[in-house]
Amino acid sequence: MKVLLSWLKEYVDVRHGIDELGERLPMLGIGVDSIERVRDDTVFDLEIAANRGDLMCHLGVARELAAATRTAARPPAGSPRTDSTTASDFVRVEVREPALCPRFTAALIVDVKVGPSPEWMARRLEACGVRSINNVVDVTNYVMLELGQPMHAFDYDLVQDGRLVVRLAAPGERLTTLDGVDRTLDPQTLVVADAGRAAGIAGIIGGAHTEIRASTRRVLLEAASWHPPLIRRTSKRLGVRTESGARFERGIDTGAVLSASLRAQQLIQEVAGGRVLSGTLDVYPSPQPKRQVQLAWPSVARLLGTAVGQADGVAILRSLGCQVQEGDENLVVTVPSFRRDVERVEDLVEDVARHYGYERIPEHMPVEETALASRAPVLEAERMVRGVLIRAGLTEALTVSLTTPAVLDGLRLPADHPWRSMVPLRNPLIEDHTHLRTTLLPGLLQVARVNVSRRVTDAQIFELGRTFHPSGTSVAERRRLALLMTGRVLRGAWNVPPEVAMTSYFHLKGAVESLLHELRVDGAAFAAAPVPWLHPARGATMSLDGRTVGTLGELHPEVAAAYDLPSSVHVAELDLEALLQRANFLPQFVPLPRFPAVRRDLAAIIADDVPAAEVERLIAEAGGSLLASVELFDVYTGPPVPAGHRNLAYALSFRSSERTLSAEEVDAAVRRITDTLTRRLRAKIRE
Amino acid sequence: MTTPKLKDLDKIAREAERAVLDAASLDALKEARRAYLGRRGLVAQLFDQVPSLPAAQRPEAGRRLNELRDRLERTVTRREEELQGAAAGTRLAAEAIDVTLPGRRISLGRQHILTRTLEEIERIFFGMGFEIVDGAEVETDEFNFERLNMGRDHPARDTQDSFYLTDDLLLRTHTTVVDARVMVGRTPPMRVLNTGRCYRRDAPDATHMPVFHQADGFMVGEHITMADLKGVLAAFVRQMFGSEAVYRFVPSYFPFTEPSAELAVWFNGRWLELAGSGMFHPRVLEMAGIDPARYTAFAFGLGVDRPAMVRYGIPDIRLFWDNDLRLLEQF
Repeated sequence: MKVLLSWLKEYVDVRHGIDELGERLPMLGIGVDSIERVRDDTVFDLEIAANRGDLMCHLGVARELAAATRTAARPPAGSPRTDSTTASDFVRVEVREPALCPRFTAALIVDVKVGPSPEWMARRLEACGVRSINNVVDVTNYVMLELGQPMHAFDYDLVQDGRLVVRLAAPGERLTTLDGVDRTLDPQTLVVADAGRAAGIAGIIGGAHTEIRASTRRVLLEAASWHPPLIRRTSKRLGVRTESGARFERGIDTGAVLSASLRAQQLIQEVAGGRVLSGTLDVYPSPQPKRQVQLAWPSVARLLGTAVGQADGVAILRSLGCQVQEGDENLVVTVPSFRRDVERVEDLVEDVARHYGYERIPEHMPVEETALASRAPVLEAERMVRGVLIRAGLTEALTVSLTTPAVLDGLRLPADHPWRSMVPLRNPLIEDHTHLRTTLLPGLLQVARVNVSRRVTDAQIFELGRTFHPSGTSVAERRRLALLMTGRVLRGAWNVPPEVAMTSYFHLKGAVESLLHELRVDGAAFAAAPVPWLHPARGATMSLDGRTVGTLGELHPEVAAAYDLPSSVHVAELDLEALLQRANFLPQFVPLPRFPAVRRDLAAIIADDVPAAEVERLIAEAGGSLLASVELFDVYTGPPVPAGHRNLAYALSFRSSERTLSAEEVDAAVRRITDTLTRRLRAKIRE
Repeated sequence: MTTPKLKDLDKIAREAERAVLDAASLDALKEARRAYLGRRGLVAQLFDQVPSLPAAQRPEAGRRLNELRDRLERTVTRREEELQGAAAGTRLAAEAIDVTLPGRRISLGRQHILTRTLEEIERIFFGMGFEIVDGAEVETDEFNFERLNMGRDHPARDTQDSFYLTDDLLLRTHTTVVDARVMVGRTPPMRVLNTGRCYRRDAPDATHMPVFHQADGFMVGEHITMADLKGVLAAFVRQMFGSEAVYRFVPSYFPFTEPSAELAVWFNGRWLELAGSGMFHPRVLEMAGIDPARYTAFAFGLGVDRPAMVRYGIPDIRLFWDNDLRLLEQF
C-alpha cells in the first residue's frame, strides 16, 4: 500500500528523515517495500499485515508514527454544511442481511457539478496508484486512502425509487460491473440493489448503470461495513481484487463509518459543490461496544522476558488510542474500534513491545528443564543412507513431488501397474503438476535428460524422497530411494578399458550392495526378472525374505529413447522402508581370525544359463562351516570353453576359529564342493 | 707388453688410477682390476721383483707397493659403487612416466545443497538441545490451519494457498503443522525442531516453487519468553552466518503467534528474511492441550530455499530442482 509523506504530515509531526523513516517503520511492524520520490513528495510502498486493516490508510500509519513518540495523531475534520432538507425524504435503506452488513450509511448531496478533480487531489491519488476519474468518485477514493473507509457513489437519479437494498443476489441475476464485465451472480453474493435490480457487489465493485457520470447532479453516497469473510470469499470466487475489497476483507472501523461518510460529504462539497442533505441515514442495528481487556502488568514481562516500565507502557497504549484505567498493576484497557485485531492480553503485549522496541528485548538463552537432544531414528537412518550413496560416488538430486500420470507412459507400465494408482490434486495449478508422484524414477530420468541435453553425460545420481499412494480415504506416504547411473564413473580414464571406466549394471548393483552392506542387511536376493522399464534381458528384482523390495537394471531402449537418453542408463528403485526395517544399526564385534586362512582356487565350466548366485549358493552349502569366503575373480567365455558355457573362477578361503587347518581337511572340503557342482550343475572342474 | 719396473712405480700408480677411474662400465672396471690387481697383474709382477732388490731397499719397496695396492683397491670399490648406481638409474629411467598426465578420479558424490542446508540447520538446533522430529507431508486442514488459529475464513490463508487432495486432506503449507502435532499429548518442557518439504499453490518462477523447504522449531515451558526466542535465533544466526552477523528482529504478524516477530540478517547489502517467529498464541496451546496460564512457548519457522539462494548467490530458485550436475558440483 502506498502512502505519501506529505499526506502523513497532515496528521502527525514527522521528525525523521526519509531514510530513517524507512528504517523505523519496520521496527513498528510496517514493512517497507520501496521508497520513491514523486515530484516533490515521497511515496512509501508499505506491506501491511493481514490483521491490520486499520493501517490501510494514511491516518492509520500516522497513528503508529505518533505513538512512537507517545503523541496522538490529528484526524481530519468531517463536518459538511448541511441543508435543511433531510435525506430520509428521498432515500430509503433496507438491510436484509444484517449479519453480513453490520452498518450501512447513505447520504444525499444535490446540485453537484461533476468534473475533473482539483490537481492536488488527482496528484495524490495517482501517486498512490489510484486513477483519477472525476471529482466525486475521486473523493470516495481519497477518503478511502485517508481514513481506510471504502465508499461508493451512485447517481441518485439512476437508482430506482431512491432505495438501496442490501440483499443476496437472485439466482441468475445479472450485473455489469464498473470494470465492464457482465456478470451472472449467484445467491452467495451479497449485492447493494435499488428497488429493481443489483447496483453493485457489496464491498467489492459497483455496477455500471448507476455510476457517477458527467450529467450526475445528485450523488447518493454509500459508506458501509461488511463481514470480512464474506468479502474475502466473494472476491476470491469472482476473481476480483479491488482496493475496496482489500480493506473490507481485513475489516474496517465499523464505529467510524458515519464520520468517514461525513468527511467525504465535506470534501464533495469542497471539490464539486452542492448541498448536503441533513441526516445521513445510518442503519447500525447492533453497535458493538468497545472491547475491554484486563491487563495485569506482570504478563508483559512474562511474555517478553524483560520488564517494560508500566508508565511507558500505559503511555504507549494511550497514544495508540486505548483508554487505560490503572489500578496498581492491573489495567483495564478499552480498545479503540479501529483495532479489530486487539482481543486479548497478548495483543496488547505486542503493541507495547512494538513501541517499546523489539530491539530492546535482550537475547537470553532459555533456562528450562532440558532433555537430551535427539534425532528421530528415521532421520538418522536417512542421513546414513544418503552418506553411503555419496561415498559410493553418487550425487543427490531433488525433484518435485508433484507430477502427472503421463510421465508413467514413458516407463512402458501396464495399465494395472500399482504406480498408476495416483493421488490427484483437487486444485492443480499447472498441467505438469496434477498428481502426487508414486515413483522417483521419472524425476531422475528427467534430471538425466536435462543433463545429457546439456552435454553433461556422466551422471551418477540418487534421490531419497517420498512417494504418495491412495490408502482407503487417506494417503500413504512411503520413503523410497532411486539411483541412476550413466556415462563414466572414472574421470581421467585414458587407457582404461570401458568396462571399468563406464557405468554398467554391475556398478549400479555395486552401489546397492554397498548400501546393503552398510545397513547390515543380509540375505538380499537378486534375480533376473522382466521389469517394464528395464532392458528385458538386463533387469533384476531385489527381494528380502521373498518379498520384492526393489528393481535394478539397464533402462529399456524404448524408455531411454523416450527420455532422449543414450542406451546405457542404469536405474534402481528401492523401498527404503523395507530396507530400514531389516537394517542393523548396532553391529556386534566379530573376533578377528587367530588362525591363518587357506586359499584354494576353483575353476568350473558351467552352462551359462545357471545364475552365478546359484553356483555360489551350492559352493557355500557344500563348503560347510570351514568355508570362510567365496570370491569370484574371473568369468570367461570363448574357446576352449564350449559354446553355451562359461568358466567361473573362484577364490575359496577356508578357516577355522579353533585351529590351523590341515591340507587334508581343506582338500576334503574342496572335493565336496567340486562333487556338488559336478553332480548338481554338471560342472566340469578345471584342474 | 714389457715387464714393469719398480723404478717406474709412480708412473704405474698414476696409470692404474686413471684406468680404474676411466672404466666406463662394470665390465671395463673388472678388466682394469684384473690388469693391475689380478693374480698376474702389474702390482703382483712388481711384488715379484722385490726379492731381487738390495736388502736395504726391500722394506721401503714393499711398503710402497702395499700402499699402492690398498689405494687401488679402494678406488676400484668406489668406482664400482658409482658404476652400479648408474646402471640402476638407467634401468629406472626407462620406467619413466609423464607425471603431468591427468589423474584417475573416482567421481565423488555430493549432497544436494538444500538437504545440506537442512542438515546444517538441524545440527545447529541439535546443539541447542532440540529434539529433531519428522512429520508427514500430507496433512489435515484441521492441523495445518485450524489448530494454528487459522479458521476457514482467515485472511492469512490467502498467502498460503494450498493444494487439496480431499475435502480435508492437503499438502502441508508449512512445517509449523508438525509443531501442532507434536505438542498433542506431551507434557512440557519441550524443545522440538523439524524440517522438510512444504507446498503452496504458486506457479514456478525465479523466486517461487510450489514445493519448498522449511524448518520449524518451538519450545514450551513455564518461563519461556520473547527474550529466549531472540537468544535462540541470535545464536542460530551467528552459527549460520558467522559471529559478526548482524540481524534484525522486528514485529510481524502470524495467526499462530502473538506477539510475532520477523528475523532477517544483513547479507550482501540487504536484509535477508530468515524466519517468522513469535510466542505461540494461547489458542494454539489450548488446542494442543497445553494450559496457556501455566506455560508459554516460542515458535519459529525458517525459510530454507530463499536464504540458500542468497547465501550461495543462486539467482533462480528453479535451479535447485534442475539438478544440473555442473551446479550441484560447485557446492
